[in-house]
Amino acid sequence: MEISGQNQNFISARDLGVVACTRCTQVWPAGTQICDRCGSTIVARDEKSLQRVWALWLVGLMCYVPANTYPMLQTRTLLSVQEDTIVGGAVELIHHGAVGIAVIILIASVVIPLAKFMAIAFLAISVMRPSSVSSHHRQLLYEVVEYIGRWSMIDIFVVAIMSSLVQLNTLAAVNPGRASLFFALSVIFTMLSAQAFDSRMIWDAQTRQERNPRDE
Amino acid sequence: MSDTPQPVKIEPARKSGMRSASVVWIIPILALVAALFVAWQTYDDRGPLIEIKFDNGAGIARRETELRFRDVAVGVVEDVRFSPGLTGVVAEIRLDKAIAPYVDVGATFWIVRPELSARGVSGLDTVLTGVYIEGAWDGDIGPAASSFTGLTEAPLFRLGQEGLQIALRTSAGGSLTENSPITFRGIEVGRIGKAQISPEGNFAIADAIIYAPHDRLISPSTRFWDTSGFTFSVGPSGAQIDFSSFATLVSGGLTFDTFVSSANRVTDGTMFEVFSDEVSARNSLFARDETDPFEMRVVFDENISGLAVGAPVELSGLQIGRVQSVSGVIDGDRFGDERVRLNAQLSIQPSRLGLPEDVTPEEAQAYLTERIDDGLRARLASASLLAGGLKIELVQVENAPRIVIETGDGSIPIIPTTESDISDVTATIENVVGRIVDLPIEDVLNSTIQFLDSARTLLSSEDVRETPQAVRALLGDVRSIVASDDVQGIAGTLNAALLRFEGLLAQLVEDRLAERLVNAVDAAAAAADGVTASVEGVPDLLAQFQAIATKAETLPLQEFTEQLTALVASMDDIVGTDAARELPADLSAALNEMNATLRELREGGAVDNINATLNSARQAADNVAISAQDLPALVSRMEAVLSQANQTIAGYNKGEALSRDAQAAMRDLSAAADAFASLVRMLERNPSALIRGR
Repeated sequence: MEISGQNQNFISARDLGVVACTRCTQVWPAGTQICDRCGSTIVARDEKSLQRVWALWLVGLMCYVPANTYPMLQTRTLLSVQEDTIVGGAVELIHHGAVGIAVIILIASVVIPLAKFMAIAFLAISVMRPSSVSSHHRQLLYEVVEYIGRWSMIDIFVVAIMSSLVQLNTLAAVNPGRASLFFALSVIFTMLSAQAFDSRMIWDAQTRQERNPRDE
Repeated sequence: MSDTPQPVKIEPARKSGMRSASVVWIIPILALVAALFVAWQTYDDRGPLIEIKFDNGAGIARRETELRFRDVAVGVVEDVRFSPGLTGVVAEIRLDKAIAPYVDVGATFWIVRPELSARGVSGLDTVLTGVYIEGAWDGDIGPAASSFTGLTEAPLFRLGQEGLQIALRTSAGGSLTENSPITFRGIEVGRIGKAQISPEGNFAIADAIIYAPHDRLISPSTRFWDTSGFTFSVGPSGAQIDFSSFATLVSGGLTFDTFVSSANRVTDGTMFEVFSDEVSARNSLFARDETDPFEMRVVFDENISGLAVGAPVELSGLQIGRVQSVSGVIDGDRFGDERVRLNAQLSIQPSRLGLPEDVTPEEAQAYLTERIDDGLRARLASASLLAGGLKIELVQVENAPRIVIETGDGSIPIIPTTESDISDVTATIENVVGRIVDLPIEDVLNSTIQFLDSARTLLSSEDVRETPQAVRALLGDVRSIVASDDVQGIAGTLNAALLRFEGLLAQLVEDRLAERLVNAVDAAAAAADGVTASVEGVPDLLAQFQAIATKAETLPLQEFTEQLTALVASMDDIVGTDAARELPADLSAALNEMNATLRELREGGAVDNINATLNSARQAADNVAISAQDLPALVSRMEAVLSQANQTIAGYNKGEALSRDAQAAMRDLSAAADAFASLVRMLERNPSALIRGR
């Protein structure tokens, strides 16, 4: 509604010859290297942002594969040792009738991480080539990804709490599986990847889009 | 702070590709390298995949079931699938790389399951953890193999285990319990493995192991026997129940002993025989080593009950085998009719035939076949008269028809038969029984009954009943006589008479006066005749006696004459008394003397005399023996004299009532004479009886 209507009269900071510190939001004239207020480096556009995004995204994806193939939780009781992967555990929960918990686990551990990967990839691609999704929507998507990243560790929390609580020596014990480490790494790298994305590039693409028809 | 921004230097975009690349790319590259390295390492560490085929996959779980070697996991089952044709289960096992080279063609695998047996529980850990596959292989790297066949149960011999491997074979009728312990003095020193039945089905054979260091207990003279079950015996010390251990009671077991020490060691694979008990094991040591028995058959025309399995087969009285089975057989083609015949299968021990050492069953069979050609035949015979069992005897039959024996493969050769010995025995028994029946037992019984009846009537007769009274009366009389004073004197007289008799006998010895004595007695007889002629003429008789005596006095032998004179004088004194009543008094006197004599005898005074007398009598008897032919005549004459005397005294009885005592005395005298006669006769026959007393 309002967002789409603002497209036409949008002016970026670079067009105005200023640059904002991404840390303390102090606005400086373009070309300022160091923020005088907080001392952080100031760049108008992070040229290597996309590279970092893609590199970290790739590592996150690489870690996500073993996170799903290796067992997440090792449940050792007197009689047996059970090792469950994330999906396997969820399926087992469904078999036991706990559909609600299974759905939560599936959303938290599978849907959201995958959605994050896709969202970051989409954002990274969309700044380089034209996209039908408006810049405001992409900005919103980026903010959601940024926000949700910190909650992606919920699986790791569960495993950590379970492992520390259920340690009854020989009777029963819950130990984190190898997947938990990879899952944590995957989450971390995904968050880093999302942070590495310079959301200002969304708007650069917008202006480029607007300029190009004008150039013609 | 200026309103117009400075011109923007956009340098980074112009930089070369290498310089524009962010260092952050190192992270994914490192991750990739790490992943690749881990992947390579995992692949490199991965051992080979082997396949083990089992009959069933009880408890084998994918990625869980471990392969263990010496109870250490060295692999894990990666997959379980069916073998082609669904004949078994194939477990694919990923081996550890370090151990893989050792898993060569000699490796064995089996599934360890929990097992509950009488000996205890094993594999209990697998109850909780699930089964695992145990492997065994040696420490040498051999030809590689990737496909194996699993064992159905744990092998007896594990590679690398020290011990002596032997084979155990049951004796005839014995039994073996597989997987049972071998104990020695109650300690388990070995195990019996899986038993197999021999192809012929006549014994069971099993592998066994004696663990080191107990294998040094085994020598070629070691004997094994069965300790399973228990023995119950009742003896003088009470009932006794024996069993080795609970485990052997339930599941069986063997023990062994080396009865004869032997320095020889036993090599792996030596065969031992298992005996049913210690006694037979011990006995076997001193018997010749038995070899494999061979089988022959006998078909008897008679169907005679009593031939049992285990009955002995004898050749010349020596047991050479046993009856293995008895059955009926109908073979119209062979025998020409459809009768049921007795078919006995024999198990013959070649070593008992007396053939040279290490004879093979084939050689022994050939020998028997040869003997059968010569007329060796089988027959049934009674094994025991009492038990009635039968045995099979191989006997030599003269002029037996020649019989061809089939000794082809597959058929057991048949020993031809001859007439059974069993009917002879029956006849003998019948004979004996018949004779017993024929004995006149009833007649004997009847006679006995009659005799007893007669005896009863006799005993119950009045006369017999009165006899004791008469005897008592007689005894009373005798007592009164003996008690009378007169009788007391008899002893002295008798003693004197004995002395004289001694002297007389001595004289007889010296002078062999038998003939003269005969003459004298003849004269006495004549005199007695005279006496008989007239009772009134007793004085005459005495006179004649006197005359005889005087004649006798004229004889050259003074002593004899004197004694005879004295004797006759005594007789004269007795007979010559007018009153016959005085006779008892004399007798009493004589008895008195006898009594005194008896007293003396008792006191030992006369013993010497008697001894001397007996000595003389012996000598006299010797002489008498010499002139034996004369004695009968003498005796008869004496008898005649005495009978005349009897008559004479009977004559007295007519006139004056002689007392019964006197009569009895006379009778006694007569009996004494008889006794003397018999004594003399006996002496005649056997003079030395005087010495020996019989």
